[in-house]
Amino acid sequence: MSATAAPLPAFRIERSTRTSWIGLAVAAVAIVVLISLPWWGGEDDLRLIVEICYTIALAQLWNLLAGYAGLVSVGQQAFVGIGGYALFGLTIIAGVPPIPAVALAGAVAAILAVPTALIVFRLRGAYFAIGTWVVAEVFSEVTGLLPDLGAGTGMSLPVAVSRAVGETRFERETVLYYMGLVLGIGTVAAVFAWLRSRQGLALTAIRDSETAAGSIGVNNDRTKYAVYLLAALVTGMLGAVIYLEKLRISPDAAFDVIDWTADVIFIVVIGGIGSIEGPFIGALVFFGLRYFLADYGAWYMILLGAVAVVIMLLARRGLWGLLADRYDIHFFPVRRRVRLE
Amino acid sequence: MAPLLSVEHVSKNFGALKVIDDLSLSLEAGEALGILGPNGAGKTTLFNLIAGDLAVGAGTISLADRDITGLPAYARCRLGIGRTYQIPHPFGNMTVFENVLAGAAFGATRREAESYERCVELMRLTNLLSKANQAAGKLTLLERKRLELARALATDPKILLLDEIAGGLTDTECQLLIETVRAVHASGVSIVWIEHIVHALIAVVGRLFVINFGQKLAEGDPRAVMDSPQVQEVYMGIEAE
Repeated sequence: MSATAAPLPAFRIERSTRTSWIGLAVAAVAIVVLISLPWWGGEDDLRLIVEICYTIALAQLWNLLAGYAGLVSVGQQAFVGIGGYALFGLTIIAGVPPIPAVALAGAVAAILAVPTALIVFRLRGAYFAIGTWVVAEVFSEVTGLLPDLGAGTGMSLPVAVSRAVGETRFERETVLYYMGLVLGIGTVAAVFAWLRSRQGLALTAIRDSETAAGSIGVNNDRTKYAVYLLAALVTGMLGAVIYLEKLRISPDAAFDVIDWTADVIFIVVIGGIGSIEGPFIGALVFFGLRYFLADYGAWYMILLGAVAVVIMLLARRGLWGLLADRYDIHFFPVRRRVRLE
Repeated sequence: MAPLLSVEHVSKNFGALKVIDDLSLSLEAGEALGILGPNGAGKTTLFNLIAGDLAVGAGTISLADRDITGLPAYARCRLGIGRTYQIPHPFGNMTVFENVLAGAAFGATRREAESYERCVELMRLTNLLSKANQAAGKLTLLERKRLELARALATDPKILLLDEIAGGLTDTECQLLIETVRAVHASGVSIVWIEHIVHALIAVVGRLFVINFGQKLAEGDPRAVMDSPQVQEVYMGIEAE
């Protein structure tokens, strides 16, 4: 160790890498292609892209929770359900137009996340996971007791509300498509901006060692709380868009742990937990398997499970972890490098 | 005026085991205090209580005139208590530079861009500059210990708690470490240093505090303490140079 008083070497801090410029270029091209899709794609294409968008958004949010903040939630379906039901309630009972209702549904989910956090944040690790699931079930049961929202059997969205989205079927599909696209891209952009910021440094530190993060002045609890509320807000908006498209809601479907959480966990774990790239890779694998194997029924589920087990055994940080370790590539430049000159 | 750090009648039990037993200790501003004691004496637990990683069972801890007993670790860090861990806790998937930067950004609550220079300076001080962009998880044990020091210093501590950072060093490395700690001390940081390597400790600290079974065994001038019969008895076989 040298304790010299010599002047510091000249240096600069780099935030981007060569692969990150490639990533940016690919993202720009992809966004242009996606924006133009309604002019040349079919209705099925639009619906598939919207589904991929909200799945990636849910995966990014779950990754932020579990992969960074150490909050392994098995109850994110609570906020999908709350968002969906808030949309139905706001449009049918309060007469709010559907598009502002989507934003408000996110706010409702975030507000309900405050008391939820008060309960589940008292729990750690596996107890936290179970706690979030129980809370989601409670929301599901309570929703089933609301007669104005179809009680246990659910309800359909009135045609008038659907008309307010767009007069023609094509117009409705296009509006819903852009809403899904904006939410999907917006979520990825928000997660990226967060991780790249000073707060991202705190979140990454918590990911790697909670004890040490506290010892250098990171307010772990507040950071986790902020992640939890952001995830609830955006998940609520996603739930609203999902049910604005589905047109029919019921407690069992809206608070379904498989659709809204288990599949998302699969995607993040397979793709690579604790990175932005991971959920993209995971979604690619998930939708790829579904495309080729969906006709095989139970075999599809068995294969999905087998893939998950094999990857968890052989690549604990997912497929992206394997690639990133070997080639040092980063498509989303959240790191800081020192270049001595 | 109150001492910079005062630990007053602090106790901590793990189940039936009394790890710290009615211990009192104080540190004046600008002082360097060495803490010595056999394995299991409660030294690291004492650091965990001071830094806020553990809650005290009884007693109070104050920083200058302020009672910090109930504050969480991050708040104590921001008030000026920096620490290194005996078993290093690097942020393994962050680079060395990012580890140090995180300390500067949150412990010292500077703006990020304003801390870059300080971080480079600290990496040079701890001889980690050539590893700046390496993942901290890939460092050797000795490098991790130096990273602990750099990261703790980045938080701009008033008091630096060093937990066995000299273990495993060669004589030359140990000498360099002593110079580094002296330089840190000379820059105005008060130091509390737990170390088994007595000659390293004595080279830096002005006062020794010996713990045994969670209680104070002896305290005072380093050589006088090392020569005292009760310390000789506990340290039978450990040579004080």
